Amino acid sequence: MAGFEAFFRAHYRPIVRLAQSVVGDSQRAQDVAQDVFLAAYRRFPGGYEQAGGWVRVAAVHTALNVLRGERRRDRRHVLVQVVGTLPSAEETVIERERSAELRRVLRRLPRRSAAVLVMRHGGMSYLEIADALGVKVGNVGTLLRRAESALRKEMDRETRS
Amino acid sequence: MRHVPDGVLRRLDDEPLAVPDRVSDHLAGCGLCRARRAEIAQDTERAAQLFAAPQLVPDVDHAWTRLQRELDRRPETASAAVVVPRRARLPRVSLRAGLAIGAIGVLIGGTAAAATLTTVFSPTHVVPVSVSQSELRAIAAFTALGDGHGLGGFATPQGSSTFRFGSLNWSSGSPRPASSLAQANAQAGFAASLPAHRPAGVGPVQQFMVQPRVHVTVTFNSSAASLAGSSVAIDAGPAVVAQYGATSDPAAPALTVATIRVPKARSTGASLSQIESFLLAQPGIPPQLAEEIRFLGNLRTILPVPVPPGASVHSIRVGGWPGILLADSSNAAAGAVWEDGRGLLHLVVGLLDSQDVLNVAKQLG
Repeated sequence: MAGFEAFFRAHYRPIVRLAQSVVGDSQRAQDVAQDVFLAAYRRFPGGYEQAGGWVRVAAVHTALNVLRGERRRDRRHVLVQVVGTLPSAEETVIERERSAELRRVLRRLPRRSAAVLVMRHGGMSYLEIADALGVKVGNVGTLLRRAESALRKEMDRETRS
Repeated sequence: MRHVPDGVLRRLDDEPLAVPDRVSDHLAGCGLCRARRAEIAQDTERAAQLFAAPQLVPDVDHAWTRLQRELDRRPETASAAVVVPRRARLPRVSLRAGLAIGAIGVLIGGTAAAATLTTVFSPTHVVPVSVSQSELRAIAAFTALGDGHGLGGFATPQGSSTFRFGSLNWSSGSPRPASSLAQANAQAGFAASLPAHRPAGVGPVQQFMVQPRVHVTVTFNSSAASLAGSSVAIDAGPAVVAQYGATSDPAAPALTVATIRVPKARSTGASLSQIESFLLAQPGIPPQLAEEIRFLGNLRTILPVPVPPGASVHSIRVGGWPGILLADSSNAAAGAVWEDGRGLLHLVVGLLDSQDVLNVAKQLG
């Protein structure tokens, strides 16, 4: 268990960050991370050296599933460190709206496009993305280009509507 | 050569050394491809901004306790929520093929790219990264710059030193006092501003200081494998710093307002992702910190702000620009940092609660 705890502590925050870039709010992102680490614990008994890449890919797909309503879960209370003061209502509304627009667009995009966007802008290399999606590394640029172009068009449509 | 495919133009932005030099040759003479590249870069930038919203830092201890509870409750049950689609090809083949392509790309692209000056770091927004004291010490040991260079400034206005993977040269003027904000602005070459209203307990400005521009060049030697021969030139500053005293004791610093020209880095040879991958893979870099940095996303436009343990962090907007508000565990000291879209980084730090610091920041936005 000590080895798993070290693995968990090394990867937990990046995994939450990756999931949050998809689902938007911290609580749901932490729910996703919890599921991913539970699955990793059972999938890699005793040897977590190889699990780092797997938890990233699992976090992206699980978060996309949550976002697309493919699996509904109960919210649980989780602790997040937040200062006592909050930004103004106007700032919160603007940030939430921008975040909500991105999530609406991620729901509409083809799944592979959404995944490649999240993976690349979440810090994964072309080689890691190629491995995760089962494509040649030379095709990742093409997938990414198409996905970013589709994202721009959908965001423009979102703004117009 | 035919026009460059979109996917290759896209990769050129992230991993230029993985792209053959005939692509650069073609681009130099083809306005159509250059225009397409610019259009692609715009979409990339927009996507990067959408995915770069500052986020809250979760409590790992609490999350670990929660996970342990779940493991005790359901020790063997598989988690149906986690689904990783099957890959179209065997991962080992894919990885090997990717490594071969990547290695060939580096070999054939390296020569041309070595002559190209690439902007690798030009941050447009700030993002929190949690860093413990032990991690800071580990970085100092890793860079062999623990005696103040790099983490706390340079001991002399100019000089050089060597570290594990190469050499470091720096030049900067010494910080000098200014008699007024106008004089400080004239020396710095930009217009820093100060808050019109001070929080309770904060007296007038005691001192204006101007730190001239700092220029640092890092040159990688043969120990740095694929980075050997590359160099990275970093320009930071100038900076205008206004130091406020407390009303009860003007000599005691209560609030600091700093305006800094954002650092920029340019590389000859290596791309940012190569530099990042190499440095983060070295022994001595704490793995948790490496993961945090790796997952920040597009480091070219992100300035990581270290968050010490116990500090709380919240995303803010100042004048419409995203920033970070930090406070210590007792909320007795706080700081705000943001980039204002004009290439200036603003820092407000005080022995004040986070609301007071935020109020000061908003007067500058």
